[in-house]
Amino acid sequence: MKKTEAESYSERISLPEFSLWERMKEKRNLVSFDLEITARCNNNCRHCYINLPQEDKAAQQRELSAGQINKIADEAVSLGAFWCLISGGEPLLRKDFFEIYLGLKKRGLLVSVFTNAGLITDKHIRLFKSYPPRDIEVSVYGVTKETYERVSRKPGSFNHFIRGLNLLLDSGIRVRLKAMALRSNVGELPEIARFCRQKTKDYFRFDPFLHLRFDRDTRRNAEIKSERLSDQEITAIERADSQRLGVLRDRCDKLIMPQREHSSCGHLFHCGAGQGSFTVSYDGLFRLCSSLWQEDCIYDLKKGSLGEAWDDFVPRVRQRHSDNREFLEKCQNCPIINLCLWCPAHSHLESGRLDEPVDYFCKVAHSRKDMLA
Amino acid sequence: MEKKVSLKSIYVPSGDVVAREVQGEFIIIPVASGITEEEDEIFSLNETGKAVWERLDGGKTLQDVISGLCVEFEAAPEEIKEDVLGLSKELLKRRMLVEKDRS
Ligand SMILES: C[S@@+](CC[C@H](N)C(=O)[O-])C[C@H]1O[C@@H](n2cnc3c(N)ncnc32)[C@H](O)[C@@H]1O
Ligand code: SF4
Ligand code: SF4
Repeated sequence: MKKTEAESYSERISLPEFSLWERMKEKRNLVSFDLEITARCNNNCRHCYINLPQEDKAAQQRELSAGQINKIADEAVSLGAFWCLISGGEPLLRKDFFEIYLGLKKRGLLVSVFTNAGLITDKHIRLFKSYPPRDIEVSVYGVTKETYERVSRKPGSFNHFIRGLNLLLDSGIRVRLKAMALRSNVGELPEIARFCRQKTKDYFRFDPFLHLRFDRDTRRNAEIKSERLSDQEITAIERADSQRLGVLRDRCDKLIMPQREHSSCGHLFHCGAGQGSFTVSYDGLFRLCSSLWQEDCIYDLKKGSLGEAWDDFVPRVRQRHSDNREFLEKCQNCPIINLCLWCPAHSHLESGRLDEPVDYFCKVAHSRKDMLA
Repeated sequence: MEKKVSLKSIYVPSGDVVAREVQGEFIIIPVASGITEEEDEIFSLNETGKAVWERLDGGKTLQDVISGLCVEFEAAPEEIKEDVLGLSKELLKRRMLVEKDRS
């Protein structure tokens, strides 16, 4: 197609081709951030790492105000951030969701929203039509009332989910669907996959890897553990999904690394935590990634600034070392760490330490390796 | 419908877009719908585009913008005028610019 004269001054770029993504990833540049604007939720999913009851007044009072969120967004934008994810808990529970969403959009951020869709109304549809999100990601916990509500533990939630999802889909807003593979819905996974693939063109993904709760609540952690599938069940599901298996096989040489480069160093963080993104909790706690809750790795934005957190605090956290021999011998040199849910943050959620191997993760990773062999 | 561009008019960035410099690239991000054909698009302006955009501060007519650029840049005035008119036309068509009185 011939370019018109005027087009030589500006270039239309579709986001997946945007060369800045690549450039931004090369060195430590802030690209995106996640805001958990509430921990409260209208559902009470058995596997949930964060949820507090909808009516938890104390939690509600601790939530950052829209003004405080705007301030964080201003700082993030000046550090170069481009993309923001609004999550929770259930973000639509907040009465000032519109204000928060528009505040982020008007700062020139691309905005994604994670939701269970149960609270979507026509008013949300009008908002998203006028000010389009980058995408809305909806979790599908079941495709029958029985299964969905076994997970969500809220009577009536299945109908609300279906109604909300249909409103979104009918409006043409970009929706992505995803599912968790849980003990409570594993029998319905094939139907969930079929449902998702029928409703949207995008690749539907499911996740069988459950980490523990941010508040380390023992009773709720036991519930999460009881929702975890066994290593054999996980690999059976992955094997049955030809698309997923294909991707894993194609990336095999990156997932299994017989010689790891940093085998002799004691550094804990070899992942991307705090390199291009960060997460802020509903009450203003800054983390390098959403699961990293170890007390020395948290920065309270209510008492400081995002600039200081990003420029000074993160590099200090990333310097942290381990002297735990068992960890250094096992995980630090592990050739299949990329098939494993192990990371310092998840280790801490399991054991209270950043450098402890986790038996369940280990078992799953080894089964996945055998599957790919 | 083609918008007519007038040298005597004052044009300003529309409230429906945000211009930002990220990693040395000058980009225009749609905030409201209907700016780009696909929702998944953003615009990147080159040096000339950026120089024009930054002068559209609500106080200058397009003629003022051209005169300013002629002082700063060495290109022939005719060329600059053509550039500015071409760009403004495109940005107006895309609703990235609006005429001040009607904004
Ligand atoms: C916490 S929810 C917040 C957004 C919204 N309420 C939802 O359910 O999509 C974000 C995603 O994390 C998933 N999730 C919840 N608990 C998890 C856990 N223990 N481990 C991994 N992912 C989990 C949810 O299923 C959901 O897809
Ligand atoms: S809907 Fe989301 S936030 Fe709510 S309980 Fe379920 S997973 Fe947690
Ligand atoms: S838990 Fe096991 S599989 Fe996972 S990184 Fe450590 S040694 Fe490797």
